[in-house]
Amino acid sequence: MTIDVSPDLASLATAGPKAGHARRLAVHAVMILLSFLSIFPIYWMIVTSLRPENEIFSTSLWPSNPSLENYVFVLTRIPMIGMLINTTIVSAATALLQVVTGLFAAYALVRWRMRLSGVIHGLIALSWLVPFQVTMIPNYVLASRLGLLDTLTGLIVPNAAHAFAILLLYNAMRSFPTEILEAARIDGARSWKILWQIVVPNMGAPIASLSIIAFISAWNEYFWPLLLSRKPENSVVQIGLQMFMTQEGNLWGPLMAASALASLPILIIYLVLQRHVIESFMKSGIR
Amino acid sequence: MLRRTTLKLLATLTAASMFPFGAFAEMPATVDKPVTISFYNYNLASAGIGSEATKELIAGFEKKFPNVKVETIAVPSNEIINRVQADIVAGKQPDVAQLTFRDLIFIASDLGGNALEDMVKPAELKDHLAGMIPKGLELGKVDGKTYGLAYTFSTPVLYYNGDLFKQAGLDPNNPPKTWADVNIAGKAIKEKTGKNGFFPGAYGPSDGTFVYQAIVMSNGGRVRDGNKLTYADKNAAEAVKMLRDMVDSGAHARIDPASGSDTFAAGNLGMFVYTTATLGAYKKASQGKFDLRIAPMPSFGEKPTAPTNSGSALFVFSKDPAKQRAAYELLKYLTSKEAYTVITSKIGYLPLRLDIVDDPNYLGPWVKENPMFRANLEQLNRLTANVAFPGPNYRQVEKMMMDSVREAVFGKGDPVATLKAAQDQGQDLMP
Repeated sequence: MTIDVSPDLASLATAGPKAGHARRLAVHAVMILLSFLSIFPIYWMIVTSLRPENEIFSTSLWPSNPSLENYVFVLTRIPMIGMLINTTIVSAATALLQVVTGLFAAYALVRWRMRLSGVIHGLIALSWLVPFQVTMIPNYVLASRLGLLDTLTGLIVPNAAHAFAILLLYNAMRSFPTEILEAARIDGARSWKILWQIVVPNMGAPIASLSIIAFISAWNEYFWPLLLSRKPENSVVQIGLQMFMTQEGNLWGPLMAASALASLPILIIYLVLQRHVIESFMKSGIR
Repeated sequence: MLRRTTLKLLATLTAASMFPFGAFAEMPATVDKPVTISFYNYNLASAGIGSEATKELIAGFEKKFPNVKVETIAVPSNEIINRVQADIVAGKQPDVAQLTFRDLIFIASDLGGNALEDMVKPAELKDHLAGMIPKGLELGKVDGKTYGLAYTFSTPVLYYNGDLFKQAGLDPNNPPKTWADVNIAGKAIKEKTGKNGFFPGAYGPSDGTFVYQAIVMSNGGRVRDGNKLTYADKNAAEAVKMLRDMVDSGAHARIDPASGSDTFAAGNLGMFVYTTATLGAYKKASQGKFDLRIAPMPSFGEKPTAPTNSGSALFVFSKDPAKQRAAYELLKYLTSKEAYTVITSKIGYLPLRLDIVDDPNYLGPWVKENPMFRANLEQLNRLTANVAFPGPNYRQVEKMMMDSVREAVFGKGDPVATLKAAQDQGQDLMP
């Protein structure tokens, strides 16, 4: 038996793979361009950090005499290692506290029937709209009274809870099957046990994505450390970067070297957890 | 904006309630007991040469006054006034602060800064100020009293690229003396080399107003007269129109207002008017790349120039007599011959004491090695105080002025009308 293929279908059958191929090529071309636009500034930062001062404005793709002089300058002129350690502590503690406070608040809002829970939820959402600059001075006065000026604790505490963290976990927790929670309750489990032994182990993706966002956000924080810190050695890496923009001219080489050092930990975290982060965002988006 | 307004209000209320102005207990003659004073400093918030020089000076002071401990608070220059305000609000009274001249009136009228005449006995003050340039001392005065003692300051000079001059057929040994010369040289550089001709460091977000005011005042203009804004008046507006004409002729570059310094350091700009504080950076950037030269700032024809000051002054806020003495000793030390030798030779700012310039024990050897710096020293006899704005809205008034200057120079509309519109709006914010 033979199959009679009409000329139209035949042409479609041959054009289909070609069109698909062209489309794939176009998509790849766009992705290559976007990748280039994302990677080139990082490449330029590293190349500039290897240039001597009189070559800093050169447009060559690679310095004629690359050296680590700018890195030595950074490490000797400012307490860069100490600042990196401080930033890591502040970012990790902030992320951890935001996850914990977010979990508590989200669990209470989702599971406990309270009067005004809608109002509370609304107020939390509204607090997200208040710029940090508005609360900065009252926070500063309070931190001063509590003796937290120039301390890492002072950098962490005001960011220990955040509306974004609560809302993200609230949304994630709302879609958690209530049957399982009810079953646990019938088995005698209290809220504390349900939260830590049932809810949290099943919310890996949103907790991971929140941790990463909170960590990066705390890592990039500038204004609060600028206000709170009094000495460079008690400050964080973003303040360190600013120190290379001076009244006597910007020190671009050391600034790029410091930026490379500052972005390295974040880059490593993202590379290690990349798949996890993207997956969690995808799931959150679909949900 | 809201933060700034809240800050000012709180600071004013706090300062007004806590410290009755003019009521000063007599400070002791010496520092007999251990005392700690805070010193808010913006040089220390940088990793540049300013930080190293400041550390050296403070170490020298603490060695000379072992009873005094200086607790330094490093804050970038554009944020330091906010930090001082915030600390006053928080009840952490600052003792000494290095602040910029633009905040002068606000410090004196709203922040409770001490006038040296109220704090120090006349004979003692006179003794310390002897030998300082009288015009330099005027920089920190409000209503005849010295609230800020000029510390690190400079005047605008004309940096120029000798190689671009040669390529454009100009004589690098005969730099432009007038703005008409700048226009001719700028056009020649643009046309023959394709590089940018001229740009002043007057429009960027961190440039302040000193270069702009120097140009305006060199043409006989002023930005305000008492509480009346005058930057759209004839002479001031003509100065801006001159810049606009240079933009239209192609002599004045059309680049990002914040990029003038880097464009010059990269060798892509023929002439750049800016502070000598950046001389060290340009020396390093130009090494083996181009021939760096300096000339005094250009004039309007035969009119003498009126170079205004960039930089900072030292202010005392201490209310405790013992701390006031320690603070005053710090001020004296930081404005001594020894300190100005460090400040000028290591950072590039002007010395407030001219007798050290040729003294072999102080700046003499350095000035011989750095003859370019004389262009700045020569301008000191015409030093004209930078005009700060009064009232709680002073920063907003200043911003509106500089926004209108940028629009007048780079925009399409009538420059004088642009300045006038901003001036009329700004006048409503003046006290």
